[in-house]
Amino acid sequence: MSESPTPPDPSSAPAAGAGHWYWRGAWTALTSTQGMVLLGTYIGFGGLLQDIGFPLAAGLFSTLIVWALPAQVILIGGYAAGTAPAVIALAVGLSSVRFFPLTVSILPYLRGRAGLGTQLLAAHFVAVSAWVESMRHLPGLPAPARLPFFFGVANAYVAISLVATVIGYALAGTLPYALALGLLFLTPVSFLLLLTRNARELVDYLALVFGLALAPLFAEIGGRLDLLWTGLVGGGAAYLVHWWRRRPR
Amino acid sequence: MNPVLGELWPYLLVILAGFLPTEVWRTAAVLFARGIDEESEALVLVRAVATALVAAVIARLVLTPTGDLVAVPLIVRIGACVAGFGVYLIYRKTVFFGVLTGEAVIIAGAWWAQ
Repeated sequence: MSESPTPPDPSSAPAAGAGHWYWRGAWTALTSTQGMVLLGTYIGFGGLLQDIGFPLAAGLFSTLIVWALPAQVILIGGYAAGTAPAVIALAVGLSSVRFFPLTVSILPYLRGRAGLGTQLLAAHFVAVSAWVESMRHLPGLPAPARLPFFFGVANAYVAISLVATVIGYALAGTLPYALALGLLFLTPVSFLLLLTRNARELVDYLALVFGLALAPLFAEIGGRLDLLWTGLVGGGAAYLVHWWRRRPR
Repeated sequence: MNPVLGELWPYLLVILAGFLPTEVWRTAAVLFARGIDEESEALVLVRAVATALVAAVIARLVLTPTGDLVAVPLIVRIGACVAGFGVYLIYRKTVFFGVLTGEAVIIAGAWWAQ
């Protein structure tokens, strides 16, 4: 805190207003590794939109209101495959289950005296990127600074992603063939690494490995619900191992 | 499907199959944030199911891509994932370098396969 010569007193309101913390959060996000990864992955997402033939405006709309890259990829993947909307919604709903623990764990920092509407708006911006970056900084900030800081981080990430989606969409049509294919590949390879990085316990790693390994099997025998079956069987098996290791003896 | 609905369909799909099933979890989390223990067993299970499901999406995008990626040989697509993963592990778990490596392999493979 270069602008304050004395250490801040946590019990008092910060000298700086909400606007200061908002822009501070935005700057933190813009200069983070996560920001660069988002730029890359959403350039990939823009490329995927172009590749699948999904309208750019609808893709940007999905970034804004869904704000969950795996869900968006399932969505446009399902659109491309002609999957029934109810099945897509179910797969998206299952892939978005992770937002429940993410949101529950970040809300105690953000809640303060905020009303239900503000909490719901904050929860909307909870995604893996904003969560990872915010949880690193929030505990050290004075309580009134946390909510504006979080909104700054999350909004900067959304802005990066929207711009990157447009860039990716535009570049996918004009780039050399090999680079265009590279953009399409950003989504799966970055997800693989982000899922690995997010894994905390054995059960998370097992679920990742089982999901990868079972996907080709259920693609053959699972019909239209193959993603769901892979999730349920792979995740269920990972949980069983977890349960077996933790059982009282 | 009539032309107007056909044009609006992607947007409707984003709202019905993207926004609603995602936002329901965030909304539920807000409502239950005070009462739910993040380490509860049920959440371990649903997180595992979600992780396996996203892993299945990754596997599908790598093994049976719907777009032009299918032009890159399967072994190169898998090799790019393995190389990216290896660099990620070696380089202090930096996603950025891992992604860069995977990209380098896939772009080189695509250029070579051309």
